[in-house]
Amino acid sequence: MKVVGITTQQEVYVGSKDRNFRINEFLIIEDPYQGDLIGEVVEARTYNKYIPLNLSGQLADSSVLESLKAIGYNVDEDTIYLAKVRLLNEALYPVQAGSDVRVPEFNEVRDLMINCSPEEGLILGVIKNTDQMAINMDEEYKDLLYTFEDGKLKGQKEIPYIFNIKSMNQYPHIGIFGGSGSGKSFGLRVMLEEMMNLNIPTIVLDPHFEMDFSEIVDYLPKDKRVDYSDKFKCLQVGVDIGVRFEDLSPQDLKNLLDASSPLTDAMNNVVDILFKKRDSYNSFYNRVKMLAEAQEEGSIDRIDRRLQECTTDLERQGWQKRKELYLNYDKSCPYSSVRGILWRVTRLYNEGIFNKDIRKIEEGLMQGKLMVIQGSTRILQVFSTYLINNLYHKRREYKDSQFTQGASEYFPPFVIVTDEAHNFAPKGYDCPSKAILKEISQEGRKYGVFLILATQRPTLLDETITAQLNTKLIFRTVRGSDIATIKEETDITEEEARRLPYLKTGDVFISESARGRTIFARIRAANTTSPHTENPFDELKGKIEEGDNKFFNMIKDKLPINGDDFINVIKEIEAETGITYTIDSFEEMLNNLVEKGYIIKEKTPFFNVYKEK
Amino acid sequence: MYDISKELKNKIKFVNQVLLNKYEEVLSIDRQSLREYINSKIGSILKIEKFTEEELKKYTALGGILGVDGSKNRMGGAHPHFIEVYQGLAKSTLYKDKPIYKVDFYTPLYSEEEEVNILEEDSVRNEKISNKKLAAIEVEAALEGIKKLKPYAVIMDGSLIRYKIVCSEKWEQLKEECERRNILLVGVIKDIKTSIIREALKEDNSLPIKEFFHDRELLYGLLDYGEVILTSINTRKEKRGFTSLFMRSSLEPTVIGMDMLKSQQNYLLEMARLIFTLTPQSSRGVPLWLDIIDSEVKIPDQMIKGLLESYLDRRLFEMLFISERDKRTI
Repeated sequence: MKVVGITTQQEVYVGSKDRNFRINEFLIIEDPYQGDLIGEVVEARTYNKYIPLNLSGQLADSSVLESLKAIGYNVDEDTIYLAKVRLLNEALYPVQAGSDVRVPEFNEVRDLMINCSPEEGLILGVIKNTDQMAINMDEEYKDLLYTFEDGKLKGQKEIPYIFNIKSMNQYPHIGIFGGSGSGKSFGLRVMLEEMMNLNIPTIVLDPHFEMDFSEIVDYLPKDKRVDYSDKFKCLQVGVDIGVRFEDLSPQDLKNLLDASSPLTDAMNNVVDILFKKRDSYNSFYNRVKMLAEAQEEGSIDRIDRRLQECTTDLERQGWQKRKELYLNYDKSCPYSSVRGILWRVTRLYNEGIFNKDIRKIEEGLMQGKLMVIQGSTRILQVFSTYLINNLYHKRREYKDSQFTQGASEYFPPFVIVTDEAHNFAPKGYDCPSKAILKEISQEGRKYGVFLILATQRPTLLDETITAQLNTKLIFRTVRGSDIATIKEETDITEEEARRLPYLKTGDVFISESARGRTIFARIRAANTTSPHTENPFDELKGKIEEGDNKFFNMIKDKLPINGDDFINVIKEIEAETGITYTIDSFEEMLNNLVEKGYIIKEKTPFFNVYKEK
Repeated sequence: MYDISKELKNKIKFVNQVLLNKYEEVLSIDRQSLREYINSKIGSILKIEKFTEEELKKYTALGGILGVDGSKNRMGGAHPHFIEVYQGLAKSTLYKDKPIYKVDFYTPLYSEEEEVNILEEDSVRNEKISNKKLAAIEVEAALEGIKKLKPYAVIMDGSLIRYKIVCSEKWEQLKEECERRNILLVGVIKDIKTSIIREALKEDNSLPIKEFFHDRELLYGLLDYGEVILTSINTRKEKRGFTSLFMRSSLEPTVIGMDMLKSQQNYLLEMARLIFTLTPQSSRGVPLWLDIIDSEVKIPDQMIKGLLESYLDRRLFEMLFISERDKRTI
């Protein structure tokens, strides 16, 4: 391998007669004057001058090439391999043309490839096309993981990609981009597994109910399987966790209500006026409701008349209270806004948000666990705003107290993870969770609070936040606008951007500010699997078979069934199982079983007879 | 746009008319009758088949095929301030990593052979020496190839008779060596310059052709793909100890020529089939193997210039070999 053609300080062409090049492969150029220079292959080509691409002129047809081969000359051997190599660090002078080029040894590239020990970092996968360098790799980097290639499990042959999580202190926040089916959710899963290995307190917002780590995969060898069951917990909003109303500040409440449905200025005002510290849900709800009822009466005279009409003391007390509220608040709280608050509060209540509290989450984080918060996207938007605000400020208070000499309870640093991040921090319009995510993206680093945001549409993610993502994992992306965003926001090159639509599932460009360059990697095989991996069409088939079997078992001992006897059989079945069929639907289901070969149907002059096969 | 001179346009029109008049005869000859004439008087028209892969393997076992070609680069201006570099290459299909290169040069400023004929024009003499050197270097390469690589056959780029004419001494060596070792010697002629048919016609008036025509013109489009003419008449070539044939080896309507030693004329058809097999159907008619050698023997002018610049004394180089023409920039 030699440097050929015109060279620059940044880029050279390397030619070889016998060795093909691979993209993203590392090569060392032995410049006689500048010493060894290391570069990465960014484009690889082959060329055979005897088989030119010539549409009009002469073309050596395959029969002649075969004939030449038969008399001993193989034209294929005249293929020239060419690679465009970009130097990792700009050279002082243009590279000497004709310099020898070789494949580096592991110890020459160790610092470029690995910046953290396997125990301290996230082992996310392998750096592609590094198998030649990995031969002399230190033992500690070997056999760390498995990868999936073409549906088969493969041992580790390449240099591992280990993400140095400590570098987040300087280069905070991770973005994971990629279209559907590109391996994005899978990459996120592997990343979370690694976070659990390191016991890093983590909150995962999971709108898809997929971040469950209890199903261990069966493809890994038995001794390599990892059980995460005591390292994570799935919590559903409204079932396991919720908001303790008594702990809410007026601002929290406004955020919650706003997340439920945007608040007007007047509504904000109503909350400020009506919400008292230490209010329970009931006290607040009653106050708002009574005020609304009083306002419905319309005037103080009518409320007085109501008071007079009261027959019981309880009722009278109620109207007395309404009158007070009316006198105090009617002027400052317009009726429509009061109604607005009322239905928003009711809605949240019905969703169960106020039933529980977030203690479980706090405890989990304290123990370094991964807390998966599940719920629909809308509920998560509402709840996460409250939750993240709460936890972030707890952590912040603790950190600040170290400087203000105030005493504050310890709260650990933590990581917030979410898939479909564009729902939580959308570009272009406001959303309650966006404010807090934006704040964390900008100053979370100082308090040890970090974000991992995955989305298939980086273009829809808030730009301030995108700009703060210092590490980006970019999976296959097909949309032009997303590729443009990625090009703008990361240091991936034109050549790499061109490859984005063609990446294999699980292959990823990792652009790390800490390294200052992009690495082409493959995500490792996950230790656990998502509960959603069953193919919906298999599921469909399974369900239909299940239904058929169930029905067949029900009628099995009643065979043969005569066509004029349906009504009695149906009665029997109803008595035994409680399931009622109409005669038509019963016949239809029998015919269905006949069609599928469970039973046979015999035609007689009077009726059909269904028999055992 | 350029203003094309009217006179130039008229001159070209005139040339067209002259050529049309001259070639009207050829263009109007009935293809069939010309074919019949050739078949009966010049030599039989045969259809040949390509070799199968099995048949070709025989050649691998027998030593492969040696291809020979030469190239010439010229730097500088008019006589005597120029230098020519010749390179000859012999390469076997079997030993692709053992190419045999031969290099020579010529400049009138330094002449090895001192017997200058004063009557001869400079340019004619230069041309003669140039041709001789080029041919000699090819023959030398072929000779060494024969000795070292022991091929079954040698395919030379160009007519064999040319070597005999311009460098007879070396040629005799090659011929003897080939005959002694039983190695077939074949010349492939891309541009045929002979006029066998015309010569035959001189003594025969069966076709209405009066003007002087070359074979190339008469044979254009006459043969079908894969047809050869085995010349049976006693041409000048025959008299000099060669045997030859014409062949349409590709879909291109022009024909190529092929010659061999008379002593090996039994192999003429076999070699024709080999050449035919090795020629891509849609090419200009030359065996791919010769094209490959041709491309390898050629030295880019840039490289020759670079070599001269690096290894010649700069003052000498500028003084002798940079013509005023080379310095033009417009």
